[in-house]
Amino acid sequence: MAESQSQEDPTTQVEAASKAFEHEFERFARFTDPSAAVQGLTLDWAESEQHALAQLRTRHLGKKSALAICKKSIGRVAPEGRAAFGQLVQRREAEIISAIEQAETKLKSHIQSARIQRESIDVSLPGRRPRSGHLHPITLLRERLEDIFVALGYAIEDDREIETDFYNFDALNIPQNHPARASQDTFYTTNGLALRSQTSTVQIHAMQRRGAPVRMIAPGRVFRRDTPDPTHNPMFFQVEGLCVDRGITMAHLKGTVAELLRRMFGSRTVTRFRPSYFPFTEPSAEFDFSCFKCGGSGCRICKNSGWIELGGSGMVHPHVLRAAGVDFDEFSGFAFGFGIDRMVGLMYELDDIRLLFENDVRFLEQFD
Amino acid sequence: MLISYNWLRELTGTILSPLELRERLTMVGLAIDAVEEKESDAVLDVEIPSNRPDCLSHVGIAREVAVVVSGKLRPPSGKPARSEGRSTDLTSVEIRDPDLCPRYAARLVRGVRISPSPAWLAKRLEEIGQRPINNVADITNYVLHELGQPLHAFDLAKLGGQRIVVRRATAGEKLKTLDGVERTLGANMLVIADAERPVALAGIMGGEDSEISIQTTEVLIESAYFNPDSVRQTARKLGMDTEASRRFERGADCENVLRAQNRCVELICEIAGGVATEDAIDVYPSPLPARSISFRPCRVDSLTSLRVAETEMKRILTGLGIAHTEESSAVWKCVPPSWRIDIEREEDLVEEIARHFGYDKIGSELPPSNQSGEHQPKELKIRKLRRTLQALGLDEAINFSFIELAPDNQLELIPEFHAQDPEHAFVTLKNPIIEHQGRMRPTLIPGLLNSLRHNLNHGIRSVRLFETGRIFAESDSGELPKEREALALIATGGALEANRAQAPRETDFYDLKGSLEAAVAAMNRASLRFTKAHVKHLREGQSARILLADGTPLGSLGTLGERISDAYKLRQLVYVAELDLSRLLDVEELPVQYKPLPRYPSVVRDLTILVDRQITLGELLHTIEGRQVDDCRGAQLVGTYEGANIPEDRRAITLRIEYRSDERTLLNEEIEDRHRGLIDSLLRQYSAQLH
Repeated sequence: MAESQSQEDPTTQVEAASKAFEHEFERFARFTDPSAAVQGLTLDWAESEQHALAQLRTRHLGKKSALAICKKSIGRVAPEGRAAFGQLVQRREAEIISAIEQAETKLKSHIQSARIQRESIDVSLPGRRPRSGHLHPITLLRERLEDIFVALGYAIEDDREIETDFYNFDALNIPQNHPARASQDTFYTTNGLALRSQTSTVQIHAMQRRGAPVRMIAPGRVFRRDTPDPTHNPMFFQVEGLCVDRGITMAHLKGTVAELLRRMFGSRTVTRFRPSYFPFTEPSAEFDFSCFKCGGSGCRICKNSGWIELGGSGMVHPHVLRAAGVDFDEFSGFAFGFGIDRMVGLMYELDDIRLLFENDVRFLEQFD
Repeated sequence: MLISYNWLRELTGTILSPLELRERLTMVGLAIDAVEEKESDAVLDVEIPSNRPDCLSHVGIAREVAVVVSGKLRPPSGKPARSEGRSTDLTSVEIRDPDLCPRYAARLVRGVRISPSPAWLAKRLEEIGQRPINNVADITNYVLHELGQPLHAFDLAKLGGQRIVVRRATAGEKLKTLDGVERTLGANMLVIADAERPVALAGIMGGEDSEISIQTTEVLIESAYFNPDSVRQTARKLGMDTEASRRFERGADCENVLRAQNRCVELICEIAGGVATEDAIDVYPSPLPARSISFRPCRVDSLTSLRVAETEMKRILTGLGIAHTEESSAVWKCVPPSWRIDIEREEDLVEEIARHFGYDKIGSELPPSNQSGEHQPKELKIRKLRRTLQALGLDEAINFSFIELAPDNQLELIPEFHAQDPEHAFVTLKNPIIEHQGRMRPTLIPGLLNSLRHNLNHGIRSVRLFETGRIFAESDSGELPKEREALALIATGGALEANRAQAPRETDFYDLKGSLEAAVAAMNRASLRFTKAHVKHLREGQSARILLADGTPLGSLGTLGERISDAYKLRQLVYVAELDLSRLLDVEELPVQYKPLPRYPSVVRDLTILVDRQITLGELLHTIEGRQVDDCRGAQLVGTYEGANIPEDRRAITLRIEYRSDERTLLNEEIEDRHRGLIDSLLRQYSAQLH
């Protein structure tokens, strides 16, 4: 066959090679029409077509292709026909290249888009990270309160939770027969020590240690013998504040508490002071603030009064200053206290504060 | 206390409405919880501060109202229409224990007719929540609510010897009180007795035997002042709380005794008929002295910042019954009235003036500050610890500080709490409020186990919690109990991922260990060490002691043991750690210091050896470090393998060893040489094989 071919006229051979290419290229013809879409062609198939096309190119344009052999046989063409032969070969070669390249381009772009399709990801799937934990709402509020008072120039203090009667009662001017001292209200250890019933104990320690002037708050756990119910716990958290300096008056007390409550509940919060009685302050006052929910017009949270009771305060009693070793002729001071748990209860509208110490994950998850 | 609005109006003539009164009284310190509008009256529920027993009556409240409205109090009269005979001829009063009864007055009304009270009296009592009984009993009750002085009416005919003896009871003496309960008395309880036996519990409740009945014609009206502590203690011991005891134990007005008695006698004569004796037997051996207080008017300004005119100060003091004379313009001498037992010092007078002038008139300003604020020294570190644990998926728990007595002995405590004498190691409450929870927790673990139990009970099986808080133990030297901050972690169930319904794997020991390590690293403390150890509450072979870098023991970490798991009904694996946070925070922070970057490349060689399963990674790393191979920069774990194709008692450990010099690039042969030496020594020391 090769023998007979070689005997054939080169021109005929070129045309035969061209024919042979056209025949083989038929299956790729659909890739040459730029306007036709390539339907139903999977990525794998397209890739194998691309491979076949590359082989086709080698077969028909490579060094051993029929066309290459034709080029070499130009010597057998009569000299006057060589120019025309050369042009014929070039034309046919260009036709083949053009056809293959068209198909290649189309295939390549099809493969590209098919690959993008196949490798595309669902960006809406969740990012990979452990489930985040949650801090306890009491911690969150306590940190906020501490930061506010540090900014106002106060030191944060804490001290013992199991206390002597001196720090828990005597130094706070709580009379010997005061009901708070009864074992009905205060927890006692078998050794006769008290679980602190207010963090005012810390004020005494701090004044003894730091002397006057002093500015401090004492956030911490306190204990009172209340049976747990939706509004009571036998343990809760409290903040007690103390400011002792020369020339401190009740106006400073009001200003400080009002500033705190504005920072906690918003700039329009109004604070109200009512006369009251505490053994450790004189004069004494309870403070209320305008309801943050209704703004004072009355709602469920403020029990329709427009005011929310929060804590107690007053000018530090001279007996307390004396017990702490502070000269009460030179210094005066104010003190205030309120429950962090109560504030948590108000802020998040808890209907049962026992939830605070059950550590139910479904509860804890709600705070951040 | 319930206060009738009409009654107040009679006493003050005020024109304020009940709601206006509520507002005004609240702002002078008598908070009014509720105003109940009745058909023809309104009832105010007034919250009386514990230092103001003088306000436990209508006249007491009226006195405040009179100052509030700048009006005058219209006190009731107290003069019986007819009187006849001397009390001393008919009865006698003896006070044997004047320490408990400084004053006792008795007066008689003879020829009374006991009957139901007239409608106006019954109605008035009912409106303030009192149950009418009969005219004489109701009148004593009426005067109590009017003037604040508790009174008692005896049927004179039923008093043995027709006389009154005020004395301590003898131990075991019996008295049937008006509520029908027979009470056994103690030796320190004050009683009113007749010639033979107790007839009333002084200041608390009368006796049934001498009670006023329909046959009664002669009544003895008792008006007295009893020692507050004595009344309180007796009432507590007997579990009693009466209108009378409530007033005596807070402090009645010793000078109100005769006035109230007069008022009572007047009303009895008027309503129940009868003739009063001309005088009272008033035994008052040593009258209580009046208190005199030096008051500097300028203190009002210096304590409250209020500028109050002197005339206004005097108006308030006068209205409250506080006598005042000017010793100089700067100092006044003030004598508070007998009913104001709370006024003892200058500051008390400042408060009286300030509250009636108005707290709302006090300005509001921040004190000038020359001090800088500061957190507690460890607070910012603890915040980092909390935030790190939170980021790793742990929720923060807070438990009560008291726990049940039982689980103590099943738990190993932090080293600081290891006690010689476990019997007396713990702080125990004398009066717990939650049954059995009488122990101040020496460990955070029981609280967290309960929290875990709570969550499991609610169908949440994957839980990770941490808690920081105080733990307690008795000190050995008899000082105050030890208090330390502890940190505990607990985890069970799946290692949950955010926004995925199912955990990709179960949580395990290394999750908890990793959380702890991350938290310590966040506080910039040297890494903790973990050594295999026997820990009472942890599973054998899965428990570790936690140590500081210097070897100080700090706590424990591991899989919860089966016995304690069972005790808490935990049916899945639980991992738990606890350590002494106070101690950890005392450790110095690691200095942060720059090290030059390596100038020459490092080469790593991986090495897999087959060793006995008991050999720990820690030992291997320690050995490698101890060998001090030249230019060896350390080893890190690549992985471990045990299982198929490996003998059961062995495991494969793959380590990556790094070699690097600071002087030059190491030659391949040098590295090979050193690595080979290291391998050989490991193989020899641990009877290991290359794998």
